Amino acid sequence: MNPYNANILVVEDDKQIRKFICYLLNGEGFKHTAASTGQGALSILVSEPIDLMLLDLGLPDIDGMEVIRKVREWSDMPIIIVSARDQDKEKATALDLGADDYLTKPFSATELLARIRVALRHLYRQNSGYRAQSVLQVGGLQIDLDKRLLFVDGHETHVTPMEYSLLALFFKNMGKVLTTRQILKEVWGVDYGSDTQALRALMAGLRRKIEENPAKPRYIVTEIGVGYRLVDE
Amino acid sequence: MDYSKRKEVGEKWGSPAVSMAWQDQFGVLLSGKVIYGLLLQMLHGRLMRKKTGKKTKAMEHISKMLMRYRSENIKSIICRAGIMVALLMAASAVGYFFRAMELPETDIAIVYLLAVLLTARFTHGYIFNFLAAVIAAFTFNYFFTEPYFTLTVNAPSYIITFIIMFITALITSLLTTHAKQNEMEARKKEAETRALYTLTNRLTDAADINDIAGIATSTISAMLNSNAGCLCFDENGKPEQTFIQQVSPQKQIRREVPDTNALLHRIEGLRTGCDIGSEFYDWPIYGRETTLGIIRVPREAAAVMNESQTRMLRAMIESTALAMDRFRAAQQRIKYHEEIAQERYRGNLLRSISHDLRTPLAGIMGASEMLMNMTPKDDRRYPLMEGIHKDADWLYSLVENILSLTRLQDGKLVLNQEQEAAEEVIGAAIRHISRHHPEYEIAVNAPDELLLVPMDAKLIRQVLINLLDNAVKHAEPEDEIRVAVTKDVDNNCAVFSVRDSGEGIAPADLPDIFQIFYTSRSKHADAHPGIGLGLAICDAAVKAHGGSITARNRLDGPGVEITFTLPLEVNKS
Repeated sequence: MNPYNANILVVEDDKQIRKFICYLLNGEGFKHTAASTGQGALSILVSEPIDLMLLDLGLPDIDGMEVIRKVREWSDMPIIIVSARDQDKEKATALDLGADDYLTKPFSATELLARIRVALRHLYRQNSGYRAQSVLQVGGLQIDLDKRLLFVDGHETHVTPMEYSLLALFFKNMGKVLTTRQILKEVWGVDYGSDTQALRALMAGLRRKIEENPAKPRYIVTEIGVGYRLVDE
Repeated sequence: MDYSKRKEVGEKWGSPAVSMAWQDQFGVLLSGKVIYGLLLQMLHGRLMRKKTGKKTKAMEHISKMLMRYRSENIKSIICRAGIMVALLMAASAVGYFFRAMELPETDIAIVYLLAVLLTARFTHGYIFNFLAAVIAAFTFNYFFTEPYFTLTVNAPSYIITFIIMFITALITSLLTTHAKQNEMEARKKEAETRALYTLTNRLTDAADINDIAGIATSTISAMLNSNAGCLCFDENGKPEQTFIQQVSPQKQIRREVPDTNALLHRIEGLRTGCDIGSEFYDWPIYGRETTLGIIRVPREAAAVMNESQTRMLRAMIESTALAMDRFRAAQQRIKYHEEIAQERYRGNLLRSISHDLRTPLAGIMGASEMLMNMTPKDDRRYPLMEGIHKDADWLYSLVENILSLTRLQDGKLVLNQEQEAAEEVIGAAIRHISRHHPEYEIAVNAPDELLLVPMDAKLIRQVLINLLDNAVKHAEPEDEIRVAVTKDVDNNCAVFSVRDSGEGIAPADLPDIFQIFYTSRSKHADAHPGIGLGLAICDAAVKAHGGSITARNRLDGPGVEITFTLPLEVNKS
């Protein structure tokens, strides 16, 4: 049931939620460890092999952001934020700091499991040299990174170089939320600033080429106030 | 008589006089007159230069002198004249005494000089100095030069003596007067400065605006020796109903202002320094931004104010204005800080409520969802689990709605407006609804070109979610639900619409549906009693963006269409 044999760390100070998540992970066959404080989480992280962390931002001892910052100093493990804080700014900050995904409480069990799977798949692909693969596919969308070609439902589709590099960025981070800032930095270059309008225009152009209905996107969905995500089904 | 002899006589002071020819005497007198005239002209010329060169200063000087002379009564003039005459008479007496002792005339002349100097010391005003100098010269001539008791002189060298004596007397006395005047000015300045300093000092300790007004009133009253008053204006620049008035050095009373509006009107229309009323001269206290109040000086005192008093009054009003301004600014700062603290407290409260409710709800919802997943649908426990989950979900949306509405309705919500793509916001709303109601198909109409609308994307997404939620609630899965957005070029706005083909809204409900806590009166109400916050939030959010929202039943079939607009240009105000 668990193809990746992952060990998941659950960092959550609320006892009921922690129990519920552990129960859920148990049911899905994941190995898991739980911590109720940030310090506890950090000490587990250095002593146990952890593959993925579910992190609550509102911890009693240290701020969740600090935990992300510390972990990112030495590890690229997927971090999924599970928080009751529903502030776009915090979401974006956490993602910019290197968190992979963000879930706002209350969340559904299905949703949480789906996010965990996406993150693990991403991790697995990285470890198994998926990046070396030149042809990637999501639904009817296929990209050939070597030949710089894009196929929509089997038809070759022409996109501009900018649109291509935007799409390629999403394919390399399949299922992961990319913040506006991260995208601007990757596609336009360092210190491009915060010209989100340019990004919106570019995104609109790309969607018109790959989506059936740009207002009901199937592939690249908008995370309002945070950024975008390429759906990984 | 030859010239050498005349010279000899001139050199020999006090020697028996040799009669001079009348013509000669006349000639010398004439030449003396000419010199007098020249002197006068020089003096006059100096004055004139002053007048033209430093016109304002000279004018001020002259007007000051005139003012002084006018303000002083004749008594003091007579008194000073008396001093002058007495001194000159004393000098003459001493002169006689000297002559009796057969001392030379030079000593007598010096005694006269002393008299002139003393006159300058004990009187003030250039006129007396001048007079004293002239009289001294002539008296000396009249009494002590031969021929005695005439204004003629035998030796022409006396003319020179007179002139030198006159000039010396004039210059020394002018210098004395000048020094004295400087001293007086300095004293007056010092007194003024001290008075102002005391006022400022006292104003610093004032506890409130009324205290400031009271201190200003008493200080100004003391300065003008009159019963001044002070009327304060409130923060909005409106006069208070009563003003403070000094009635005795220790006592202040509060008096009613008969017509504050008329007074305010007069003050606002003021072009000169003060407004002349029937009882008071009203001097406005101008602050940095508004008029802070009025200093009321009783008519009889204000009419006779001299120039220095006016200056003092102005300076005192200025100090009062500064103190009031400072006080107001401090007050505003305190108020501002309080507001910030309150705002922070409120924010924290809202945040912690939402946090503390979300966490247990997440537990309930997650656990019930998991139970449902583990239970076959035909199990009789399943509906119970489903009920728990639905209720928790409903409670959650209620909490969210209450929080958003609180934020929206106190008018302090800062919209996080950015240029957002309309299609993205619609897409995000549809994704949310589809997650909760996957059985409903929602159609979208969006323009081909990208439509960027300045908005708080999260709020507008919430508006769309609420509208779609409503539509889903009142329609069956096979009914059409459609979201559309178009650009209205004429009104420069984006028009969003959400329509369903459900049962529609009863006409009686239509006007009220955006009211808070309004729920449909129709029997078709949802299984959950909607508490009618959803549409109220839509209304508040759209209005916060400067748009409008309307609801109507569709004309082309069953169902409701709710339309809202968002301006394409952000209204800065």
